[in-house]
Amino acid sequence: MKQSNIRNFSIIAHIDHGKSTLADRILEMTDTVSLREMQDQILDSLDLERERGITIKLNAVQLKYHALNGEDYIFHLIDTPGHVDFSYEVSRSLAACDGAILVVDAAQGIEAQTLANVYLALDNDLEILPVLNKIDLPNADVDKVKAEIENIIGIDCSDAPLISAKSGEGVAKVLEDIVSKLPCPKGDKDAPLKALVFDSVYDAYRGVIVLICVKEGSVKLGDKIRFMASNKEYEVVELGVRVPKEVKKDTLECGEVGYLCASIKSIKDVHVGDTITLVNDPAKEPLKGYRKMNPMVYCGLYPTDNARYNDLRDALEKLQLNDSSLTFEAESSKALGFGFRLGFLGLLHMEVIEERLEREYNLSLIATAPSVIYHVHKTDGTILKIDNPSLLPDNTQIAYLEEPYVKASIMVPNEFIGAVMELSQNKRGIYKEMTYIDDNRYLLEYEMPLSEVIFEYFDKLKSVSKGYASLDYELIGYRRSDLVKMDILINGEIVDALSVIVHRDFAYKRGQAITVKLKDLIPKQQFEIPIQAAINNKIIARTNIKSLRKNVLAKCYGGDITRKKKLLEKQKEGKKRMKAVGSVEIPQEAFMAVLSMDDDNK
Amino acid sequence: MAKHLYLHVPFCKSICAYCDFCHYLYKEDQVSKWLDALKEEMASYKIASALETIYLGGGTPSVLSLKETEKLLSMLAPFSKQLKEYTFEANPESITFDKVRLYKDFGVDRISLGVQSLDDDLLKLTNRKHTAKDVFETVEIIKKAGIDNISIDIIYSLPTQTLSTFMDTLKKALSLDIKHISLYSLTIEEGTLFKAKGYKSLDEDLEADMYEKAKDYLEANGYKQYEIANFAKDGYESKHNIGYWEYDDFYGLSLGASGKIGHRRYDNTRNFNDYLNGNYIFKYYDLTLEDEMFENIMMSFRMKRGLDLKRFKDRYKKDFFSVYKDAYDKHINDLIVKDNYIRVKNLEILNAILVDFLKD
Repeated sequence: MKQSNIRNFSIIAHIDHGKSTLADRILEMTDTVSLREMQDQILDSLDLERERGITIKLNAVQLKYHALNGEDYIFHLIDTPGHVDFSYEVSRSLAACDGAILVVDAAQGIEAQTLANVYLALDNDLEILPVLNKIDLPNADVDKVKAEIENIIGIDCSDAPLISAKSGEGVAKVLEDIVSKLPCPKGDKDAPLKALVFDSVYDAYRGVIVLICVKEGSVKLGDKIRFMASNKEYEVVELGVRVPKEVKKDTLECGEVGYLCASIKSIKDVHVGDTITLVNDPAKEPLKGYRKMNPMVYCGLYPTDNARYNDLRDALEKLQLNDSSLTFEAESSKALGFGFRLGFLGLLHMEVIEERLEREYNLSLIATAPSVIYHVHKTDGTILKIDNPSLLPDNTQIAYLEEPYVKASIMVPNEFIGAVMELSQNKRGIYKEMTYIDDNRYLLEYEMPLSEVIFEYFDKLKSVSKGYASLDYELIGYRRSDLVKMDILINGEIVDALSVIVHRDFAYKRGQAITVKLKDLIPKQQFEIPIQAAINNKIIARTNIKSLRKNVLAKCYGGDITRKKKLLEKQKEGKKRMKAVGSVEIPQEAFMAVLSMDDDNK
Repeated sequence: MAKHLYLHVPFCKSICAYCDFCHYLYKEDQVSKWLDALKEEMASYKIASALETIYLGGGTPSVLSLKETEKLLSMLAPFSKQLKEYTFEANPESITFDKVRLYKDFGVDRISLGVQSLDDDLLKLTNRKHTAKDVFETVEIIKKAGIDNISIDIIYSLPTQTLSTFMDTLKKALSLDIKHISLYSLTIEEGTLFKAKGYKSLDEDLEADMYEKAKDYLEANGYKQYEIANFAKDGYESKHNIGYWEYDDFYGLSLGASGKIGHRRYDNTRNFNDYLNGNYIFKYYDLTLEDEMFENIMMSFRMKRGLDLKRFKDRYKKDFFSVYKDAYDKHINDLIVKDNYIRVKNLEILNAILVDFLKD
């Protein structure tokens, strides 16, 4: 195929704006997938992704399109994750493209995440093709949304396809526009090989399968290749494209997107964003944009049944085969026993991993509240980095603490600005800027501690704005804060796994909220249990769980043994998900109670 | 061979706000179809002629007409020759002198009367169709017709109920001069009128206060607690129910009933058409030794006297303390072992103890 007849593109859209549905239609209309193989939203292959309607892992498919001008074209549709946690991965998959289809819901307009991804696309010099989706919805407002795209992003929408991805209306024009409006790959096919790594998956038989886009030169079977960032060398044993089934090929030419296997044993040796070149004819410099991904959010993960520690480790090792951004190391807690401290790209990433561990590996887990990495400047001049609040050294050894800050961009309709500002202020946000988007919407910018963002900021934002606000954030560095460690005592004993680092001004309120929440979450036991919050051994909040007096005594007629037993089995099931700390049985959710918002008890 | 038989009469003339038992509105033609189906269901069991107890529960058995009742009791007659207890459940609004006479002619010697409360406001709230006064009159009728072994059901922790209104009901109940009182706390179940109306359970502490106070009050007035929810004058403990609590075998007949025969339990269908079509049983439970041991404990721990340890060993060829060492050790302070029985010290927290006896 001529390089001029190749189009590499992705689809940028906010969650629910119809990215996957459009991808499905494109796949159908290019006859790539037979109906038998067609499953709804085929690109989202993990069950969890399909359930949550989000795309976590990237994927790329090759499609053949017979255009109206009579020529055949090859499309490479490169899927991108749609969540803020994965923005680096998004930027790399965008880097593999030359163009992007921007899908905007004609009823909803642009959202903050979409905007963030559009900027990423522009940074990567992508040509943007705007598409208005869901035009068949009764509240679709095509003109308004067109104007919005033109105002905010500055791209002409006069000829933008108006489609309904669901019904397929207008999608034919999108395919033609891809041919006529998006550029072909511009690389030099005779230059030394530069292939961009934009994803990898682990396969038990073939090792790591690397997804690449050949930016310059070409690669063929048997080539000796080098990963320029990790400096590792391998021999290519398999090449191919996904249509979406894998089809083996002998070479991948300049402009092509496909996969490569080279007996690579560990996914840790393959970094997204790295450049592959030939050992014998190396490129002078790698493609730009490579960055090592670092986890932003940490939490402790413990099996409720200590005997399953090894099962948890095995499961984590298996997950890590496919997820190089997941980090973990062993840790132990006085309250929870042996477990692991895991690092994640963000909260969603964390939830997905926890859910997969429970669902796919049948583990019952206790997760501690998420934490960021704090920089502890000690009085002796050294700096300690801690990702677990219980490891904070004694007060006397601390000169000061620093915490990570992010720039949070919130897109919000007029009517909710007040509520969002109040929320952000309560989250220690520092107001930076408010930009007018259109008659109805503004872009708010705050600088905010990351720890506050992960303390339910996103959920709260959604609730104060009735779901209309959208959020994007990026790390902007470390800042000094007046932070203290708050311990939680249950039945007089500090439960290390519940310790949390909070801003001094918020400590009292949060201590109140946590103790009240714990009181509700911990079931009554046969004795009274005091719950206290303390800073430097000083109690700042306290509640009591009264002792158990009476269980449920249902009137079920004498012979209904099934029902009586079921009630107990349910209780037993609940108990299994609890952890005995001292003589108190604490349910899993309690360990997340520290996330409870300050105003939960209003 | 099972010595006990429970028969569920699934008909009612109105539906109480708390009830999620199997119930259908009373209609003559339905009753007649049901009686025919029941006859066939009974034929499918080899019921021993030497039954010790029969319990006709509901629903509202007393809703049946004299004729229907006669047909029903005639079916049971072959098995009711050597009974030690024969109970018939009744509601104040449907029972009559003639009906009680008829019951008695067939050998019924115990009436369980659905009273629930003696507070007219609460009776209305629970959608009961009788008043406190009706209850007094009914009890007189039953006695006059010749049955003096009368039990009443009382529900506490009803919405809006206070400790004093509840104690007032109990005081009135005592003046009925009956032999047996069952005391149940309200649970708001799915599919009930209470649930639909959004009623919430009362505060747990108030509920516990009611239970404790009622227990003391009844004990002080000659009603001895012999089970977690049951109180009786000496010699009037329910033999049928003790059968359940000793984990004896029992037949369960008709819609919504359960039974246990040998190493198998079953729950009957609650679906009228399935029942008419001969699909009586909804589900079988084949019991392992572990199931049986636990279920036995679960039932027997409800009784004040607890579990008969010798019988346990004879039945299962296992020693209670070696099978349940962990649970016993954990609850050593909650349990009392005496004279070859093991019992729960404080029945109010029975569930919290039983949970630990349930194996993973």
